[in-house]
Amino acid sequence: MKSRAPSLILSWIAQIIAIVIMGQTLYFKFNGAPESIVLFTELGMEPEGRMLVGILELVTCILLIIPASVTFGAILGSALMVGAIIGHCTVLGWEGDRFYLGILAVSVLIACSVILYIRRYTVPFLGSALHGDETPHEERY
Amino acid sequence: MAVTGKLVVNLHNLARFTNIAVPLLAGLFFVSGLRISFYFHFLSVGFLFLTILNAFYLYGQRGHSLLRNFGILGQGRYILESVGPELRQYLYSNDTEERPFNRNERAEVYRKAQNTNSASSFGSQKNFDSTEVKVRHSMFPIHKSELKHTHITFGEERGCANPYTLERPFIISGMSYGALGESAVRVFARGAKQARILMNTGEGGYPKYHLEEGCDLIFQIGTAKFGVRQSDGQLDDQKLRDLVANETVKMIEIKFSQGAKPGKGGLLPKEKITEEISELRGVPIGEDVVSPTSHAECTDIESAVRFIAHVQEVSQLPVGIKMCVGLSTEFREFVTEMKRQNVFPDWITVDGAEGGSGAAPKAFMDRVGIPLFPGLKRVNNILTELEARDRLKIVASGKLVGPGRQMIAFCLGADVIASARGFMLAAGCIQAMQCGNNTCPIGITTHDPNLQRGLDITLKANRVENYVNNLEHDLVELLCATGCRSIQELSFDHLYVPKDSTLHTYIINSK
Repeated sequence: MKSRAPSLILSWIAQIIAIVIMGQTLYFKFNGAPESIVLFTELGMEPEGRMLVGILELVTCILLIIPASVTFGAILGSALMVGAIIGHCTVLGWEGDRFYLGILAVSVLIACSVILYIRRYTVPFLGSALHGDETPHEERY
Repeated sequence: MAVTGKLVVNLHNLARFTNIAVPLLAGLFFVSGLRISFYFHFLSVGFLFLTILNAFYLYGQRGHSLLRNFGILGQGRYILESVGPELRQYLYSNDTEERPFNRNERAEVYRKAQNTNSASSFGSQKNFDSTEVKVRHSMFPIHKSELKHTHITFGEERGCANPYTLERPFIISGMSYGALGESAVRVFARGAKQARILMNTGEGGYPKYHLEEGCDLIFQIGTAKFGVRQSDGQLDDQKLRDLVANETVKMIEIKFSQGAKPGKGGLLPKEKITEEISELRGVPIGEDVVSPTSHAECTDIESAVRFIAHVQEVSQLPVGIKMCVGLSTEFREFVTEMKRQNVFPDWITVDGAEGGSGAAPKAFMDRVGIPLFPGLKRVNNILTELEARDRLKIVASGKLVGPGRQMIAFCLGADVIASARGFMLAAGCIQAMQCGNNTCPIGITTHDPNLQRGLDITLKANRVENYVNNLEHDLVELLCATGCRSIQELSFDHLYVPKDSTLHTYIINSK
């Protein structure tokens, strides 16, 4: 059960959006930009947490670029963004610049969700259950 | 459920526990993230995702009952099951228990193909009980120089205008372009040319790549007659004439049935139909190609024999038939009709029910048709009784990948051995059993260019040649051991057939 071409293009657009948004924040995280340090200090994760999240986001970007691992990247990316949104809701708040940053996280989460929806049949642990009764003679029964 | 005081793993309870524990933990970690450290949110997000997935398993999907009842813990079964085949093949299966070819059988072909030492040590791993057939040797083995040649001339019995002489008694059995990818066709065709043997094209339509490689060919006419078909499914005589005008098309084989699926036509799954194949065969893309169960011209025994005569007449080449034995009485009538019309095929390929296929219905693969050895013996017996054995040759096929089984087939009356999987193994097949999915990891039965890339045509063609050389070497040594000077001198009496063998019923003058 393969996705048709137009939806695959849509998936790639979503992947590129997610990569660009996450990628540009990496620069601030790894360089220790003051705004970034303030954020992670408020979260009580400075500096290890900043590096850890940065590395995980870098891994997400790489997974999203390589065709064989796109769904894994989308899962990891959406998990990180849910974490970021929890941060905004519980600690950071949504005022001023924070609102802008929060919206970026929401955008990436939406992009990852779109990728996962388009590629839902290849998502690990989910794909076969989704078309379980449509194709009964596939490898699982 | 039995109540015991013993500590046992109760998977039902464990699953119920997990289904409640996962959302509880998600909440617990979330609170910890708020109160203790934001780091806890790594866990709370993970468990949140697990909770959603588990809810989907339990209440969303309906396809998998196990997941609907037990949730994520049920996945454990699928995960373990999915790695089972690899674990068994790599670690847990012993050297003699895998099917269709066990590790020892595969290793023997690999060694022959790679021209490495094939001596075994310490002792045989085969059974020496009451089921396994063995070859009887002579007290006075002869020397190689005393052997007669092993040439076989097809078509000599009926004075065919263009007889064909096969130098070594081996044929690469019918595998179509379609079942095989382009590289694999080239490997086998080039290897056949180097080894001076024949290659059967299978029922794959016009043999484009076979002809490019220039090996001697048997063109197979399947029930769908790909390549030589009129729109109504009958034979197109002119197309056949055009085809046999190619110098390398040496013989024609009419396929009546195939051991892997006797009573069914050929089957090419839709995954493997590329544009080129759809053109060569004249079939649509995106649908499984299922050949008819029989030839349009052959409705009964009489018309079947007439069709053989017709193809012989049109092609002016040796014409054989391929069949898996079903009813002995039917075969007896078939030969009787051949005698009545005085039309004999130039050979009969007896395919055993254990024969291979890229795609066949499981019930047919497992349960239909007579296995090679009893089938071959029956055919040989019936032909001998009806005094027709000297009118044709017998080709045997069905798991004949090593010299041991081949020797038994020769003793049962075969003149020539045909094998497909033997040559696939020689080309590097690892028995991944994915021939029908277009995902062959070796690149033999796939059209995926990324997978075919792994198959080095020159090198593998050499391996095919080595394999034939070493098969012939072993055949010669075995022949010398029996004291016979040619394959034709071998007989049933050269076999030791124990009580529980399927061949035991044929023992008349047991030695």
